[in-house]
Amino acid sequence: MKRWLSVLLIAFLAVGLLAACAPEREQEAEGSGTDGESSEEGSTDETAEKPDKLVVWEDKDKGVGLEPAIESFEEEYGIEVEYKELNMSDKMREQLRLDGPAGTGPDVLTLPHDQIGQLAIEGLISPIEVDSSVTEKFTESSIQAQTYDGQLYGLPKATETPVFIYNKEHMDKAPESFDELYEFSQNFGGDKEYGFLALWDNFYFGNAIMAGYGGYVFGDDNGAANPQDLGLNNEGAIEGAKYIQKWYEDVFPAGIVGESGGSAKDGLFQDGDVASMMDGPWAYQALNEAGIDYGVSPLPELPNGEYPQTFIGVKGWHVSAQSENQEWSTKLVEHLTNAENAKIRYEKTDEIPPVKSLMEDPIIADNEKANAVAVQSQRGTPMPNIPEMGEVWEPMAQALQVIATGKASPEEALNEAQDTVKTNIELNHSGN
Amino acid sequence: MGEQESTYTSNHRTKALALSIIPGLGQVYNRQWIKGIVFFILTASFFIAFSDLLQYGFWGLFTLGIDPKFDHSITLLVEGILAVIVTVLGFGIYALNLRDAFKVGKQRDANETPNSVRQQYQNLVGGGFPYLMMTPGFLLLIFVVIFPILFVILLSFTNYDLYHSPPANLVDWIGFQNFIDIFRIPIWRETFFSVLAWTVIWTFGATTLQIGLGIFLAVLMNQKEIKFQKLIRTIFILPWAVPAFVSILVFAGMFNETFGTINNDILSIFGLGNIPWLTNPTYTKIALIMIQTWLGFPFIFAMVTGVLQSIPSELYEAAEVDGATIMQKFRSITLPLVLYATAPILITQYTFNFNNFNVIFLFNGGGPAVAGQNAGGTDILISWIYSLTVSSAQYGKAAAITMILSLIVIVVALWQFKKTKSFQEEDMM
Repeated sequence: MKRWLSVLLIAFLAVGLLAACAPEREQEAEGSGTDGESSEEGSTDETAEKPDKLVVWEDKDKGVGLEPAIESFEEEYGIEVEYKELNMSDKMREQLRLDGPAGTGPDVLTLPHDQIGQLAIEGLISPIEVDSSVTEKFTESSIQAQTYDGQLYGLPKATETPVFIYNKEHMDKAPESFDELYEFSQNFGGDKEYGFLALWDNFYFGNAIMAGYGGYVFGDDNGAANPQDLGLNNEGAIEGAKYIQKWYEDVFPAGIVGESGGSAKDGLFQDGDVASMMDGPWAYQALNEAGIDYGVSPLPELPNGEYPQTFIGVKGWHVSAQSENQEWSTKLVEHLTNAENAKIRYEKTDEIPPVKSLMEDPIIADNEKANAVAVQSQRGTPMPNIPEMGEVWEPMAQALQVIATGKASPEEALNEAQDTVKTNIELNHSGN
Repeated sequence: MGEQESTYTSNHRTKALALSIIPGLGQVYNRQWIKGIVFFILTASFFIAFSDLLQYGFWGLFTLGIDPKFDHSITLLVEGILAVIVTVLGFGIYALNLRDAFKVGKQRDANETPNSVRQQYQNLVGGGFPYLMMTPGFLLLIFVVIFPILFVILLSFTNYDLYHSPPANLVDWIGFQNFIDIFRIPIWRETFFSVLAWTVIWTFGATTLQIGLGIFLAVLMNQKEIKFQKLIRTIFILPWAVPAFVSILVFAGMFNETFGTINNDILSIFGLGNIPWLTNPTYTKIALIMIQTWLGFPFIFAMVTGVLQSIPSELYEAAEVDGATIMQKFRSITLPLVLYATAPILITQYTFNFNNFNVIFLFNGGGPAVAGQNAGGTDILISWIYSLTVSSAQYGKAAAITMILSLIVIVVALWQFKKTKSFQEEDMM
């Protein structure tokens, strides 16, 4: 009797406790909701009021370029600005997801532009409003990169894109066209020595050729990328893929295909076994350390007379959606990216700002490495910043891999990749 | 305290129990003042400290938020789980309180003297000492083991993905929809079964080979005729001494089609030199199984060597007298004794390889890619889950697959452990 009595009592209490608290909880929650609302409203009313300080998250090791701009901002507006360095490509996003909603996040942060779409959907960064006089100062493609769903989500601070890097020991000057380069590679060096190498089985690089021939990833729908319109297997893309296949058949070794291909390519170039390669400005440092005397230029012309359309990556300044000082944060973003601060930043970090006036400035125009990137950026297209892009990389890498190793014809491989991309977009991004 | 009761007909136990509905009151009724006060303070502080958590927690757990502006579904989910854990702990203390009041009341009914404060203290320190020591560890266990498990289980019943991500949107409960989708939508189903098939082949292929090789070499090295035993044993242990991820990355370089030493220096001797180790799924699978065999055998080798040395030599001498061949001796004496001693560890080797993320991910990132599925050619379940969460933001689906994966591992492990002789009482030797 005693046993079931105690069990009964516990059960009774449990039910009682839950039942009693349920409506109360509801009220509590509503109470907190209205609390939040009122404080939120309060803050929007007072946007004109200056905050004590703004927090900025900058990329790792790039703070040196930020400090002068912060100083002048503090002087001009009397708002203290604090900055913290975080690895931009992965850490920034992870940290923002946790700290943003918790209210301990930044006001202003930097991101690679291909993450904009995802973070905008998640509600972590907010659109900004600036005068057209501000956006006009930047190159068109860099502003396009900062725009998602018709709204501007930030201002560009730096741009980068793959260029043509050549070893001056083997090549006096960069070739004018890929035909010339192909000729050169055919006659260059002995076994395990190559005239030109590129990781065209990686869609990031491979797309430059395919897009040069007329392929595209997402169709243009009034300035916004349309994920329903894929151009991965159109005529131009196939022609480009055929050209890629030709290089793998005649010049490139199979060993630079796949995941570990990059390190194989870098190793060969640093050993001096390769005359030239396609790579981004991020490769410079390793080449300097390896003591290679190298030159840089925009990519040569394709056989069809077009220039390769490389993917442009744009890093920008954005305003956190959870920041309570939207207006002042936007002001700070404008300040950080104005021509004067962009120039200072370029001098300190060597990252090229997509500011029109600076592109013609001798400080960039007369610098071989910077100029190559600047010129190539004008020929490229910004990487799509919609999250659907995440479904494109893997199937396209796979298609380009089988094309590179000659296991499938470009048509077959690209048709299949287009189907996979389409299915995965439907599967993961139907948006319901 | 400790006062004698004079009546037999009293019903202190029920009264104490009933009064204990308010914790501590029953104890006070039993005239155990200090204990009563402790229980009361414990309960009061429980409600004061956790009232917010309990109120919001359950509400959040049921609704996952109602307005994305203020409610962060994932935070609510976490708080909800905490509330559940705290409630369970609370009920535990409450049950303890009821039980204690009832027990002491019964002692009083039987005219026994309830324990004095000193006796209670001695009881606690003496009998309860192991429990007392366990408590911090147990609490830690709840938060590092049970909490994440509950989180994954609950996540698998939500639609948490990119388009249902806080703070912009709310996450909703969707019941078994994730599981249904995995088996009903063709591309998910095909991917799931092809990944599962390779996971099973991988588990059995790699593990059996590494166990086989380990036992074979251990038995070989245990023959008295072999010279330099210690040196050779040391060499065999070496693959275990190098951190696995270093070895795997080195292997990835060695298997490179054009520049790798496997094709260039080793296979070219036999006239083979163009094997697409990293771009053809079949060859990548073969390479992976060979690498895992190489990485895994030293552990089995070391363990079996130890077991072999404990087998009494009389057994072999007797077998020799009976005229047994080497194979017979191995099959009837060595193998059963080795397996008997090591079976549980061998089984854990299988479950380990089932979830061996390192080798798959570091060697070729689950690649090469294969058409018609959203996983790479050598992706096993765990590495597929990784890419689903990291690159596709399909958290709900990934949690559902994790659940299926755990279910498989748990069922197989339980079944195996039960079947193994090591877990039965009888003696072998």
